[in-house]
Amino acid sequence: MSSWRLAIRLARRDALRARGRSILVLVMIALPVLAVTAADVVIQTQEVTGVEALDRRLGTADAQVTVPAEGRPMVQRFDPMDGATTVGGKPDPPTEAEISAALGGARLVEERVGSVSYATDKGIGYVEVTEVDLRDPVADGLFELTSGRLPETAGEVVVNDAVLDSGYALGDTLDLGRQNPAPTIVGIADSASLRTAPTAAGPIGSLGLDARNGASPGWLAEGGPVSWDAVEALNTMGALVLSRAVIEDPPPASEIPEELNWDSGDDSMVAAVALIVVMALLEVVLLAGPAFAVTARRQARSLALMSATGGTPAQSRRVVLAGGLVLGGAAAVLGVVLGIGAGWLLLPVVQRWSSHWFGPFDVPWPHVAGIAMFGLASAVLAAVVPAWIAARQDVVAVLAGRRADRPPSVRSPILGVVLLGIGVAMAAYGAAAGSGSGEFLIAGSAIVAVLGMILVVPVVVAGVARAAGRLPLSTRYAARDAARHRTRTVPAIAAVAATVAGVVTLGIGLSSDEAENEGTYTPSLAMGQAAVTGYDLRPAAWDELARVVDRELPGATVTPMTGVGGEDWVDLQEPGGSAPLLDEMSVGFGSSMLVGRSVPDLVPGIAAADRERAAAVLADGGVVAFTDHDVAGDEIELMAGERGTTIRVPAAYVRFQDDTYPTLAAVASPEAVERLGVDVGTVAVAVAGADVSTEQEQDVTEAVAAVNPNAGFYVERGYQAEENTRIVQFVLAALGAILMLGGTLTATFLALSDARPDLATLSAVGASPRRRRSIAASYALVVGFVGALLGAAVGFIPGIAITYPLTAPAYTDTGPYLDVPWALIVGLVVGLPLLTAAIVGLCTRARLPMVARLD
Amino acid sequence: MNPLSSTVLHLDTVTRIHGEGATEVRALREVSFRVAAGELVAVMGPSGSGKSTLLTMAGGLDAPTSGTVSVEGVDLATLGNAGRARMRRTSVGYVFQDFNLIPALSAVENVALPMELDGVRSRAARAAARAALEEVGIPELADRFPDHMSGGQQQRVAIARAVVGERRLILADEPTGALDSETGEEILRLLRARCDAGAAGVLVTHEARHAAWADRVVFLRDGVVVDETGADPADVLLESRR
Amino acid sequence: MSVKQALLALLEQGPRYGYQLRTEFEQRTGSTWPLNVGQVYTTLTRLERDGLVEADGADGEGHVVYRVTDAGRDEVAAWFTTPVARTQPPRDELAIKLALAVTTPGVDVGTVIQQQRSATMAALQDYTRLKREGDLDLAWGLVLDSLVFSAEAEIRWLDHCEARLRRAALERPTPVATNVETPEVAR
Repeated sequence: MSSWRLAIRLARRDALRARGRSILVLVMIALPVLAVTAADVVIQTQEVTGVEALDRRLGTADAQVTVPAEGRPMVQRFDPMDGATTVGGKPDPPTEAEISAALGGARLVEERVGSVSYATDKGIGYVEVTEVDLRDPVADGLFELTSGRLPETAGEVVVNDAVLDSGYALGDTLDLGRQNPAPTIVGIADSASLRTAPTAAGPIGSLGLDARNGASPGWLAEGGPVSWDAVEALNTMGALVLSRAVIEDPPPASEIPEELNWDSGDDSMVAAVALIVVMALLEVVLLAGPAFAVTARRQARSLALMSATGGTPAQSRRVVLAGGLVLGGAAAVLGVVLGIGAGWLLLPVVQRWSSHWFGPFDVPWPHVAGIAMFGLASAVLAAVVPAWIAARQDVVAVLAGRRADRPPSVRSPILGVVLLGIGVAMAAYGAAAGSGSGEFLIAGSAIVAVLGMILVVPVVVAGVARAAGRLPLSTRYAARDAARHRTRTVPAIAAVAATVAGVVTLGIGLSSDEAENEGTYTPSLAMGQAAVTGYDLRPAAWDELARVVDRELPGATVTPMTGVGGEDWVDLQEPGGSAPLLDEMSVGFGSSMLVGRSVPDLVPGIAAADRERAAAVLADGGVVAFTDHDVAGDEIELMAGERGTTIRVPAAYVRFQDDTYPTLAAVASPEAVERLGVDVGTVAVAVAGADVSTEQEQDVTEAVAAVNPNAGFYVERGYQAEENTRIVQFVLAALGAILMLGGTLTATFLALSDARPDLATLSAVGASPRRRRSIAASYALVVGFVGALLGAAVGFIPGIAITYPLTAPAYTDTGPYLDVPWALIVGLVVGLPLLTAAIVGLCTRARLPMVARLD
Repeated sequence: MNPLSSTVLHLDTVTRIHGEGATEVRALREVSFRVAAGELVAVMGPSGSGKSTLLTMAGGLDAPTSGTVSVEGVDLATLGNAGRARMRRTSVGYVFQDFNLIPALSAVENVALPMELDGVRSRAARAAARAALEEVGIPELADRFPDHMSGGQQQRVAIARAVVGERRLILADEPTGALDSETGEEILRLLRARCDAGAAGVLVTHEARHAAWADRVVFLRDGVVVDETGADPADVLLESRR
Repeated sequence: MSVKQALLALLEQGPRYGYQLRTEFEQRTGSTWPLNVGQVYTTLTRLERDGLVEADGADGEGHVVYRVTDAGRDEVAAWFTTPVARTQPPRDELAIKLALAVTTPGVDVGTVIQQQRSATMAALQDYTRLKREGDLDLAWGLVLDSLVFSAEAEIRWLDHCEARLRRAALERPTPVATNVETPEVAR
């Protein structure tokens, strides 16, 4: 213990003396601690936990009782929102009086919660509604009145600003559609939980909530705490209960009904968190490692003197480790304190983006302690290797003033190659295992491969140094010096490599996923075509829709498409055949059988020759049948669904092209349909000849929805790369760049401070001050380039593997898709090192140390 | 020979003051001093007498508080940092007590350093460096790294670095300080030979035995030149012996 | 200096006559300590008297050739195996001069020291120059080194004297009014 005290005292003094290096380590460790702490504080605050949410959900009531339609008996978790189900299904709901009796005669105030559609200035929107007597004190806290008054009669409601923003004002009538109440808006009130969504509240009946729109009868109960026993009793009667007493002081977890007692903390979540923590720890350790390596060498002489005067290797080790303890501890405390502060400052900003109101400010102390431990552990781990090396240093060489590290051992690179091999094997096994366990094997393989790579880095660095003979002076110097000071260089290169490996892995995964999306995309319409589709629409509605589209898209050809509709359908059968013509199909145009003289242009995936063949058959009063295999015949049997009429007509069998998903079963000539006697009507509106912009599409969509909510508008634009993918790639590259810059900068500036004597010599033999810059840039280039190259190579292992579970799901026969984002990788391996080198070069002072020695 | 035209290094009433106020240290006080081509001048004095300061002035690593330092007739104050650096890599060679080789570079690369820094093509610089190593008697060590050489070998490399190319001024700061007397003598012999071949040399030392290799010995005390032994009497003696 | 033993040592290598002995001595010691022929013959006479050498007739040109006796051989062996005694320090004029200078008022000790140092340095430079003249035989080289080191030792001793005087002056500005900070000597 006393020797630890000595070590810590030494470390503290050293940390204060080498201020630059200490600040570097502090920042390196405190920053992630700060970021995670701040994020945790924000998340914990915005997450409204059970107890915090009680007032929002219950007002001042003791319990909320709802009677779902499933039937009795019910079972529920402590909070029915977390899980509830019927175990009997007997439709025998309890009455209000029975519930009250079960609650010991509690006063019940009826409350219904649901959502209804309402007319907005753009069309149809949805509003979250609550029917309850807001004037009853039990409802206090559910809504907060900001202007106007509370509703007094069933014809009055309060709404929030979001509703007013969609075209209403105080005093207006809220338009909930025909056959529904038309209440007057008498006040503006914010919901206690929802912030941005439109909300409305009024007395029972004011907003038309009932079983039709999914609202269950419910009550707020007031009459003393409701025990878990009472909750279970009500469950038996078919009711669910949110009890304040139960949430605030939950019974033991064993009380949760068996049917609902699933493991909520699922293993995959834990595994994912563990993976992220390990990767982050690795990264931080690698980033902070060089600083400790330099510290250890600065202390090398003192340590050598210590062992010369009888110090044990363990004591030397302790001195270096104590550096990790001191700086890690300081960084952890600093990061946590600043993180909590940053979280507090961030809350109002984040709140603006959230649709829910945040809970009270919440510092999750156990988490924070864990995060602080993470910071401490990363510093101590970063000091482990330098400490180990310091304890084994060659005392004679150090006292003789030789500055280089020991020659690299042969064992660790071999172990590294073995680990890399294990990584590849794990990745391959994970790829073969497919989705499910595969992802975790592959993520594990990433860690193993990165660890293996770290052990190989020294050999690579030595190789680069050997090959550097023909390079220009600065680069040659940087490469050789990097190899001489491996304890400092290797972690920096490894940090860069780990970053790049991560980015490359994710990059390959992302773009392969994207390739899968593109590869398996099936157009609904022919390219560039548009259509209005809908269901349960009257002919008048179709006319109106055609008019609306015509108005919004001047110049477009708007053609109503007719098809078999109403209650009728038609089955198709190849004469004498038994196999279905189409194995699978989705109805793209309101009906599986269109009626006309040609296959409409907007049906995708039909070859031009087939269209001609089809037009010929249709002119003859025949039928075009779509198939997914070759059918040779020229006749077909049609059976009218309900009516049972069967006829045989000439037919053309047309195959959908391979990359098209069938959206239609047949096109029939009007004659054929007439013979069958089925109902024919407009089933869709084709829109052609217009180059529809995204804005126009938005306008038409809203206009169409205003005519009828069951109608929709779609424009086929081919595969649209998700904006997100590009943003995520950019974020990945940026993150990689930042980490790379961090790793490179640390290594470079530590190298520069270490190289002071060399720089002084260079200056004495006539190097110009700019030489310091070119050396710094070369250093950054060596670290960045070697790291990026290794990292990219290693990143391919899990990167390629992850595409298997990702893009070849077990239930399809497509894929796997592999798309390597070469631009991203070349940018990382070539562009980024050059960029960091340039930045480092520019940031370095062009000043060489002079031999300023006083005698 | 016109003595003025052959002057390679000229310090004219040079004063150098480190720090100011209470911590002011006068390292050099109005020192004047000339070194001609072909001449080796030793500067002797105890620690703190200002001899190393004098050397850093001569190499343009430090600027005088007052007075001028000229190398080959050029006042260093007019050169600027970059100009002084160029002068160091083309006209001046430094030899230090602790060798100051760059451990990351091999012997031949260390020697080629000034030329490479001056933009000489790598191949040409290495050829010149090998010639210089040959001259100091260690051509076989060209591809060794400093860590794998003895002190004497390292100092030979340092001297080769100081003489490579057409350098006319060699500044040696206690070059034998870290060596045994036999090896030290070898080093001095090399320096002497270089000066006999036409270079101007300044040798800073506190050992009389080594200073004796010089043509002239300048005694520094507290930043002041207190005495100087000329070469002349010895020359007369030598002539008379022949 | 022991001319007696030196001549015995030379004779041990073979009989020689007086002039031969002188030449050989000077050759071996680089003429550092010149001998005159009279001194050689006086010494030979004494050696013969003590029974350490004996005349061995004359050579063709009439030079008397001397030969070492067994007693002489023993004497040479004893000389080589006995270290040179330092019990009786040789009278050192310089030491005496400085000792008197620091105790005599009005003498600038600093100047005395510096002048002596310059002179010794000049001598040292001479020796060094001789050393680098080219190939020396080993014996002469060692003698030169001996001179070099003793001159160096003298300079170091002078440096040491100067340092002590300075310290004395700093501690007690009086009574020795030494002007250690010698004024710059004009070139």
